[in-house]
Amino acid sequence: MSIESISDVEFGVDLPAFKPDTRLSSASTFAKLVGWNAPRFNDHEAAKKEGLPGAMIPGILSQGYLVAMIHNWAPVANVKSIDTVFRAPVIADDDHTIIGVVTDINEDDKLVEIDLTVKNSKGETRVFGTAMIEIP
Amino acid sequence: MLLDLHTHSIKSDDGRAKVENYCQWIRTKNLELDGFVLTEHRQFDNDSDYSALAKKFGLVILKASEVETEYGHVLVYGVTKALQKEFDFAYTKNPLEMVIEASEAHGAVAVPCHPGRPKVGMFAHTEELGIPKGVKIIEIFNGGSRDQEDQIAIDNAIKLGYKGIGGSDSHIVSHVAHCATRFTQDIATIDDLVAALQTGEFEAVHITKPHAPIQL
Amino acid sequence: MDQDIIDLREKYLNQDFDTTPFEIDPKKTVEYARLCGETAPRFLDPADADFQASPTYIASLMGGRTMPKDFPVKGIGMDAGKGVECLAPIRPGQTLNGKTHLHDIYTKTGRSGRMVFVVSRIEFYDNAGKHLANSDSRIVIREKG
Repeated sequence: MSIESISDVEFGVDLPAFKPDTRLSSASTFAKLVGWNAPRFNDHEAAKKEGLPGAMIPGILSQGYLVAMIHNWAPVANVKSIDTVFRAPVIADDDHTIIGVVTDINEDDKLVEIDLTVKNSKGETRVFGTAMIEIP
Repeated sequence: MLLDLHTHSIKSDDGRAKVENYCQWIRTKNLELDGFVLTEHRQFDNDSDYSALAKKFGLVILKASEVETEYGHVLVYGVTKALQKEFDFAYTKNPLEMVIEASEAHGAVAVPCHPGRPKVGMFAHTEELGIPKGVKIIEIFNGGSRDQEDQIAIDNAIKLGYKGIGGSDSHIVSHVAHCATRFTQDIATIDDLVAALQTGEFEAVHITKPHAPIQL
Repeated sequence: MDQDIIDLREKYLNQDFDTTPFEIDPKKTVEYARLCGETAPRFLDPADADFQASPTYIASLMGGRTMPKDFPVKGIGMDAGKGVECLAPIRPGQTLNGKTHLHDIYTKTGRSGRMVFVVSRIEFYDNAGKHLANSDSRIVIREKG
């Protein structure tokens, strides 16, 4: 269900599943776009030489996925703040799941807090954070 | 009685959860949890009083600490004003054996947490520093564990004769109640918790990844 | 808290050390939003009446420096997290003024020694001086030696 107003939001509800585009080609395009044209974002073998399991998704792209998931759920939402902690690398070409759940609602100020988690295929948390959004 | 022994609130630098929202989450989701312990990083929260929230939601809310040592991170249950004078909770290189001794001297219990984790877990350091004296309990289920971290903790607990607890190590609301510890007796206060830990009558539980009982 | 960190906090927190102008290129903001998975016209269509950059776009903007020139903690810096605070929409086509300061300094332990966490904040203003957004970079420095 698409959220149109604060009264549509329920505490504890899961946001609809969102499948991020974690292909290496997309991560690489993103890294170049933002001027982070480092091998660790473009090439699995080069990343492995740096001690990583594979090429990484830039942290800010993970953050971008989380915001896109919120807009997908509530197109009218304005993100007031988002804070993410990068616990472990998100590896390109691996399947990841993005989870969002409503953990606070302030109807007076029309604010909703959402817990955000990026998990890999083993269910391990790679990125977590919270977002505060305004739903007019 | 099932308690999550390792949670963080916004009082921790990397915590993003408000305590009231933990309570709301547990009740809204009908989670099988009777309460939780706030283990804020490198501090003891002397100021916050969660008794009204505990009453409102019918949950046990206790306060402890997660301090740092040369062997990694350590949960301390039963922190008193006197214990806080024994060592600097904010210091990042406290000697583990000193933390354990001081805790015991003040009626508290020190428990190395996520001990199977690289860098910040006890078993990442035992090859270099040796097995520390005084450890009786370690955290064998941690909600933030990756790969074989919990298994390393379990294997070493069996080998070294440690008891094991579980805690979610939650930093956001929805990560609470992933791991917990089941006690045979009722626990209402931090003194009850310390006494229960000292008797050894408890069992670590991984709620989100069901498992066979761990015999320790 | 370690004494050297207390000293660092006293000396460096909340002191602007960089000012950089940022042109917000509509082509870049659209591509940024598309790669993140946005589908709303307000992020993808320059003709949309509410056309704006994705809220996290500013996290990709880097000033001339992320640390003060004389900041004494040396080591390998890694990206430990990002925070964005949006006070008003960022409209592509405008030029923003970014002012950088250190917002927080704290420590944690690691196997190879102490890790120092530094939160470097860029405050973004429009040409009229209106404060539009903040972007926090949490950088962890594993100290040498």
